[in-house]
Amino acid sequence: MAAVEFTEETKQQVERIGSADVVVGIAGAVSPEELRPRAERILQELGSAVSSLRFVFAWPGKAPASPPGESAADNPALALLPFSPPPQAEVWAGVSANQRAVLGLAASLNARVCIVLGSDLAALDARAIQLFAYAVLDRQCGLAMPVYLAARYDGLLNSGILSPLSRALYGRRIRYPLAFDFAASGALCGALSRSNLAAENAGNALLWPVTVASTQNAQVQVGQVHIDVHHKVATEGLELSAVLGQLVGSLFHEMDVCASHWQRIRGSQATPVWGNAGEGSDDAQPIDPQSMLDTFLLGSRNLDEVWRLILPPNSLLELRRLTRRAPDQFRLPDGLWASIVYDFALAWRLRTLSRGHLLGALTPLYLGWAASWVREVSSLSNADAEQRLEQLARAWEEKKPYLLSRWRWPDRFNP
Amino acid sequence: MWQQVEQSLHSSMGLVMNKIATMLPGILAFIVAFLFFLLLGWLVSWIVSRILSGLRFDERMGRGANAMAEFSPRATPSLLIGRIVFWCFVIAGVVVGVSALGTSEQIVSGWMLAYVPRVVGAAILLLAGNVLARFVSRSVLITGVNLNLSYARLLSMGVRWMILVLTGAMVLDHLALGSEIVELGFGILFGGIVFALSLAVGLGSRDLVSRSLEREAARPAEVVPPEKIHHF
Repeated sequence: MAAVEFTEETKQQVERIGSADVVVGIAGAVSPEELRPRAERILQELGSAVSSLRFVFAWPGKAPASPPGESAADNPALALLPFSPPPQAEVWAGVSANQRAVLGLAASLNARVCIVLGSDLAALDARAIQLFAYAVLDRQCGLAMPVYLAARYDGLLNSGILSPLSRALYGRRIRYPLAFDFAASGALCGALSRSNLAAENAGNALLWPVTVASTQNAQVQVGQVHIDVHHKVATEGLELSAVLGQLVGSLFHEMDVCASHWQRIRGSQATPVWGNAGEGSDDAQPIDPQSMLDTFLLGSRNLDEVWRLILPPNSLLELRRLTRRAPDQFRLPDGLWASIVYDFALAWRLRTLSRGHLLGALTPLYLGWAASWVREVSSLSNADAEQRLEQLARAWEEKKPYLLSRWRWPDRFNP
Repeated sequence: MWQQVEQSLHSSMGLVMNKIATMLPGILAFIVAFLFFLLLGWLVSWIVSRILSGLRFDERMGRGANAMAEFSPRATPSLLIGRIVFWCFVIAGVVVGVSALGTSEQIVSGWMLAYVPRVVGAAILLLAGNVLARFVSRSVLITGVNLNLSYARLLSMGVRWMILVLTGAMVLDHLALGSEIVELGFGILFGGIVFALSLAVGLGSRDLVSRSLEREAARPAEVVPPEKIHHF
């Protein structure tokens, strides 16, 4: 299987450093002048808990003023390792390419744990590092994923599609399957760094750590840690349909590749969670989702000919019934939403129509779900909204037999 | 008189029968040649497809295959090559069959042989135009809906018919059917559409356009309120 390619300079630096216990990698360009003091402060804060461990901080970029690879004078347990960033195509794919490079470096350094962090450095603090290291080193997790402190209207794409679909497929109850921050054990680093590199569009392939961990070995324990982080995602200039196409398209691709694996999985297993969940504010202002609902209604009036190629008649009928409801009565049932996404995944596999068109046609449906969701959770407390998310995820699991039937017998199965 | 009519009918029947008898071997040769090349085409395309799948041709094509799949979702490069090979043989079969027919009817076969490349070219143009019209109109429709344009369908239909009309004109031109009329008609049609739109905007909506431009120029820089909903 193909491996991440590094420049000769990076390879020499890796040889000079030799080995490490903990590799903390930043999946994006950062200033070494900012990174170095923060790394030193973290080690000071962690103190005796990590005194026996050797840390390497890796990031895509250029070396700081002092020679790279050389341990900081006042802290021999710390080494800095800049590396050449891999060629990048699109925003999210660029993050994944950097994450793979960091994991590849950790594998080369025979690290016991690799902690990958987002380039805004929001998660670069002692508590997050300690929790990730604790999950992997002390609790023997192969993979530790984050649970962010998110407001109830944040990350709707994750809540509505990525998280429940990943959970239903791979049987792991992970809140953020596509995260900026996560930690992997040394044993899993190699597999994660090589994932999807052999794919036909490797340059744009995203890294789905939970999928890799589940398909590599069903016995790999996956844990979650609460980190009070809110990443700043640069959304300017990004269109929802383009982002949805990239993220959901990548997950559909994983589905296609790992079909033989997820078809054997039934239900889901709880994952251990460490750290204290932060208290989110309950005073979220009610939001009017009318603009999202309008896009859905416009889609239902115009995209019927496209949806007819993808969705079975009963789903179309239910959607048509929904469009006739008053805006305040609009609710997209969880089961219907799950089956719609499953049908789109099947159409993606069968190439029923151009994949770009397919994911474009999913956007109004997603906005319909988002409008329904926003209206529903606006009156709930944060805890109740979390419960509602759990209910949604269970509905996706309950609909999995439908996906299996359609996936195995796409022509024969007629709902 | 009746004898003369009878004789005339007999001689014309004889001529027709003679003509059919002369052409029959040619028609038979045409059918045999066509069937032979059809079978050969099927066999060779099957062999080519097997070789290409053995060489993992589709995977090696990488991005090129993805780009092609956008236009023709179900077609893979190896499938496409297999089909091209098959249809090349079918066309060769038709050409050989027609020339076999031509040994008996030189004029017909000469005219047909000269026209076959044009027909093939026109068929390819028609197919490509249809695929392109469908793809572009669907792209416009989906993008329009995602941009919340209420006239997305109208826009999509306009684009579709423009491409189809353009394709039709190109096909007729390629077949050399009424070339001057087609060129003239197409020019008048397209020019007319553009002129009508110009008049509609310039005369019918003049006040609206000027008010809109004035409002745009006078509007202070808009402060966008922070988004409360985050999809990603």
